[in-house]
Amino acid sequence: MIRKIISGNEAVATAVKLARVGLTGIYPITPQTSIIEKLAEMKAQGEIQTEIVRVESEHSAMAATYGAALAGIRAFTATASQGLLYMHEMVWWVAGSRVPVVMVVGTRAVGAPWNIWNEHTDFTSERDSGWIMAFASNPQEALDLTIQAFRISEDERVFLPVMVGMDGFILSHTKTNVLIPDQEQIDDYLPPRRQPYVIDPEDPVEIGNMFPPEGYMKLRESIHLALKNSEDIIRQHGREYNKKVSPMIDYSTLNSSYRLEDADYAVVLMGAWAGDAMEAIDVLREKGIKIGMLRVRYLRPWSEKEIKENLEGKKGVLVVDRSTSFGRGGPLYIEVKSTIQDTEVKDIVTGLGGVTVGKNDMIYLFSKFVEGIKEDVTWYYPKEVGKLDIRTPRDIE
Amino acid sequence: MMSLLLDYQYFPITKPGKGAGGKTGSWRVIKPVIDLSKCIGCKACFMFCPESTIVPKGGKVTVDYEYCKGCGVCSNVCPVKAISMVSET
Repeated sequence: MIRKIISGNEAVATAVKLARVGLTGIYPITPQTSIIEKLAEMKAQGEIQTEIVRVESEHSAMAATYGAALAGIRAFTATASQGLLYMHEMVWWVAGSRVPVVMVVGTRAVGAPWNIWNEHTDFTSERDSGWIMAFASNPQEALDLTIQAFRISEDERVFLPVMVGMDGFILSHTKTNVLIPDQEQIDDYLPPRRQPYVIDPEDPVEIGNMFPPEGYMKLRESIHLALKNSEDIIRQHGREYNKKVSPMIDYSTLNSSYRLEDADYAVVLMGAWAGDAMEAIDVLREKGIKIGMLRVRYLRPWSEKEIKENLEGKKGVLVVDRSTSFGRGGPLYIEVKSTIQDTEVKDIVTGLGGVTVGKNDMIYLFSKFVEGIKEDVTWYYPKEVGKLDIRTPRDIE
Repeated sequence: MMSLLLDYQYFPITKPGKGAGGKTGSWRVIKPVIDLSKCIGCKACFMFCPESTIVPKGGKVTVDYEYCKGCGVCSNVCPVKAISMVSET
């Protein structure tokens, strides 16, 4: 194992290299472009044997990856924002076909209007597609989760594609200290690819054909059951990763908690700003406010068991969302609220489109919450937004 | 194909085979009838049938009337005129 100062995108590219991926379907979109740039660089230097397929759109990127995966090759792709939305149709085809594929999403705001900064709406909007969805909170986790994603995806009890989210720019472009496992360790952890079926002229199968209503519904149920069953399998592979590769981050649970055991109040969030939240919690703890944090690492499967164990019985739960379901609140909030019954749950939607929410904002939000805020959904702006210079048709007249 | 399948695991694939959608129905007006005494088993009809309804059997051929559309291509290509098109009405 070696330590290196690399960005999140480089960490993901390293994970792809270590997993011995056979084909990468690539189309550049900010902020994941440097993943494929790094892969192309590795390919040019002869470090990897990955076939890099340059396509004309994200839709084709996923289609190429899907086709390679069907043929029995370990396949990878990465995307973000509008690209993920453009892929949307193929995302469902891959999950519906039950083919193991891994994708990394550098999360970014969705237009209109144009915005390249970070938020999670592109990622959370894919939550019904049947993919397993992990979310990293630092480059180290991005590397570890990508490698684990191949293991989980190719497990015969799962056979579903896995999506790994990573905050755009905040993780993708920021360099930190990352522990890179050796190739032998990963070879030991990650066995050769397995998949439910392959395209083979000797034993032909029909894929993507018409299914009658009952058969279709039965297949939908099998995706549901496989996704539900994957919860224990993710824990199992996480423990194995801790044992065989690195014990640095505990992967034996689907979600990560911080100072939650004796806490009266809990904060639930997802992604890179967990670091700011942890610092804010330390400050509030010094002031005598017993508060803890639960960081959602897997949005799908949603671990009802862990959420209930960690959050039920608290005086209050605050969900801080970096994405929104318009007219309804944050997606994380909806999930948490539907899971726990006896506890009060409040929601904050903030950080959309790259709005910076730091430690001081977290301290403000958390202490406000402990004092008791009334509204169900609050849109929080760290800075005062002045009168917006937005042109309306009347202004133009 | 993987043998290790769990009871909840289904995959959206099928084996290629005859489909209900290709069946002829009641609209065919003429059908090919093979005179087996004339048939030399050259399988030209098998090669040319656009619906794959000619089935080679024991060195000669038979017709799968469930899928035969009665187009007459087989009758036309037969070198020994063993296939005649017979009216069904």
